[in-house]
Amino acid sequence: MAYLETSGLGRDFPGVTALNGVDLKIELGRTHILAGENGAGKSTLVKILTGTDQASRGSVRIDGRDPEADPSLYRSIAYVPQELTLFPQMTVAENLFMPFDRTGHGGALVNRRQLMEEAQTYLDRFGIEARPGDLVARISVSDQQLLQIARASTNAHMKVLILDEPTSSLTRVEVERVFKVIRGFLDRDHAVVFISHKMEEVFEIGDDYTVLRNGEKVESGKVADITEADLIRAMSGRHVEMDDHFRPAGPVTDMIMQVRNLSGARFEDVSFDLRRGEILGFAGLVGAGRSEVMQTIFGFLKATGGSVSVEGKPWPLGDTSRSVTAGMLYLSEERKHHGIFPLLSLRENIGLSILPLTVGALGISDRRERSEVQTIIDGYGIRTAGMGKRISNLSGGNQQKAIIGRAMATKPRILIFDEPTKGIDIRTKSEIYRIMKGLAEDGVGVILVSSEINELRRCASRIITMHNGRLTGEFDTEGTDNETLVGAIFGTEAKADAV
Amino acid sequence: MQSNPLSILIRNPLAGVFFALLVIFVLSSLISPYFLTSYNMSVVARGLAFVGLITIAQSMLMILGELDLSLGVIGGLCGVVAGILMKKLGIHPAAAMGLAILLGAGLGLLNGLLITLLRLHSLVLTIGTAGIFGGANLVLTRGVAITGIPVEVQFLGRGDILGVPVPFVMMLVALVIAAFVLLKTPFGRYMYAIGNNPPAARMLGIRVDRIRLVVFVAAGALAAMAGVLMVARLGTAQPSIGDTWVLAPIAAAVIGGVATTGGVGSPIGAILGAGIIGIIENIIVLFGVSPYWQGIVSGAIVVLAISFDAISRRYMRRDAA
Repeated sequence: MAYLETSGLGRDFPGVTALNGVDLKIELGRTHILAGENGAGKSTLVKILTGTDQASRGSVRIDGRDPEADPSLYRSIAYVPQELTLFPQMTVAENLFMPFDRTGHGGALVNRRQLMEEAQTYLDRFGIEARPGDLVARISVSDQQLLQIARASTNAHMKVLILDEPTSSLTRVEVERVFKVIRGFLDRDHAVVFISHKMEEVFEIGDDYTVLRNGEKVESGKVADITEADLIRAMSGRHVEMDDHFRPAGPVTDMIMQVRNLSGARFEDVSFDLRRGEILGFAGLVGAGRSEVMQTIFGFLKATGGSVSVEGKPWPLGDTSRSVTAGMLYLSEERKHHGIFPLLSLRENIGLSILPLTVGALGISDRRERSEVQTIIDGYGIRTAGMGKRISNLSGGNQQKAIIGRAMATKPRILIFDEPTKGIDIRTKSEIYRIMKGLAEDGVGVILVSSEINELRRCASRIITMHNGRLTGEFDTEGTDNETLVGAIFGTEAKADAV
Repeated sequence: MQSNPLSILIRNPLAGVFFALLVIFVLSSLISPYFLTSYNMSVVARGLAFVGLITIAQSMLMILGELDLSLGVIGGLCGVVAGILMKKLGIHPAAAMGLAILLGAGLGLLNGLLITLLRLHSLVLTIGTAGIFGGANLVLTRGVAITGIPVEVQFLGRGDILGVPVPFVMMLVALVIAAFVLLKTPFGRYMYAIGNNPPAARMLGIRVDRIRLVVFVAAGALAAMAGVLMVARLGTAQPSIGDTWVLAPIAAAVIGGVATTGGVGSPIGAILGAGIIGIIENIIVLFGVSPYWQGIVSGAIVVLAISFDAISRRYMRRDAA
């Protein structure tokens, strides 16, 4: 019998039906894949399952009982959000057991020694490579991700663990650590609900699956019975060519940008060329220094040495405003911290970049701004209940489309995409790839930083690899196999192993 | 979706504070027969003018995500400097007032430079600079007021234009300019963007530090203007001018929908908030509440107002989610 079950679940918001008639069965000892594009209703469903939102229709059963009658049942459902929600300036142990009273460390004083000892058992169990006394800000991103999962499991009542894209900022090796932890949960007869847009992971770890589309359940069953193409078709509602590639078709011509011996925070002596008509990929592990290189070229971070020239002229470093004026834009992977203005509306968020088009003698023209913003909303297929909605209420994919649409409106000469498809569903991914391809073919210099080798292979004409702050190779995508790329990404030692 | 005029009115973020102001205004005129007299109205308007100028300045900084606790003291210092320049040094009054406002802009620039160059926290820094500016005031005046401000200057503080007090007119002009800049110009949009998310603003190529500096300078000048106008109204340059201009403008801005965390609100809301506080303080006096109790009563009303606001916001959000 299913431990967690919903039937006919629905949730209405003013003007929108976010969920409709969703049946879901989560069984203990199995991994359940919850699949769907951004905006399909996954987050709404999770909120109802964890008791933070109420359904408008239908019922939830936990262990056969109604959690609305007995809210303590919700304690058996633990949720780990995609974003890190740890306290960076506190220790690993404190993070694990906060709030202390809930985890049996309460009372007026916290017993540090006991806290540390108990933390160590969790760290061992989850294979977290940190000491209980370390500050969370100092441990690696993958350890933070695991710590977040460990924290959820300090709840003794937990039976179902919901993981929302736990691997989106992890590398392949680190993903394996998360999977090991998931298998540990299954052995203890817990259920894991796994939300991910990475297909290979879904097929590796999934037992059962449920696909949501536009708030409705469209399919469910056993992962073993379907193929990747089936799942994608169920999610997007149409056939998607997996083998499509998005490498620019036109000829690669003159030089756009030359970077020479650039050094800065966490990287050294980086030189490369960007040519018209190509998409230049940057591969590497999280923390290899790729984002830092790009942010330094863009002027967001300070350069300590080296130079950049664009179309033969020296490029001023250290001033984002001049970079934007001169036609360079950088789209950060940190959408929340470096991209959106959360309290402003979608209209104001987009409006910020099209001010030259909307300002008249009497200031910003409401009418012109509305129509320009509407053009971008339509042109990039941004789904929203209205341009006056706060951008933070939009799904991640739609936020990303708004950011890209806004950037394109400035007609850049060089556009740097840093992990543009992080946390974004497959259909939107293809749309973004198509945009990048179109840009490159129109003569815009496009750089794509990505941690997904497949993404780089599908989009980039040329791939530069980085390891530990240094360039380790440069490859034409055609005629280079994955092993060579992976070797370069892991640096020289791994390369020697691979040969 | 619904676009009938009434729902637009209700959805407007200013509707709540405007409605509250209206209710308090009507209640006050019912409670006290003196409230609606033209004399009392001009007292309220004149009082609102000075705090209002500081409120405009403070709300612009708050939208930017900053807070300047030295604004009141800048007003006081620039007021006495204007008095010294025209009375002790015999400089032409117009030039003296101009120099005093320039000084205010300069002190704002000093705050802004320290904050942008050294990445200091504006709240903490301005506690320090407020101490320095206030101390300079006492050093210059030795705590003694400068009397005998020329009558033509006093017109700026005491006179009326078409029955409306001159300082109030000036405050309205400043408000219209500030609101236009914030709501209708790119500069204003950039201010909201910075208040929302400074790194993202920099990523868009917005000159974050330059805009911060400009707003600090403008705030300093507005504060100095309030101080100079107060000197004109009193006819003497009192060293104590500005003492009560520190917290009330912040409370007014918050009542008016400006968040202390930045990125939301407008100076129009802040002035409506200042109006609420001004009327309440006025009615307390008309009612003959003991001066010893006035602080408690007006403070309690501020607490009530922002609590009510927070509760209604939460309710509306649940409604809209």
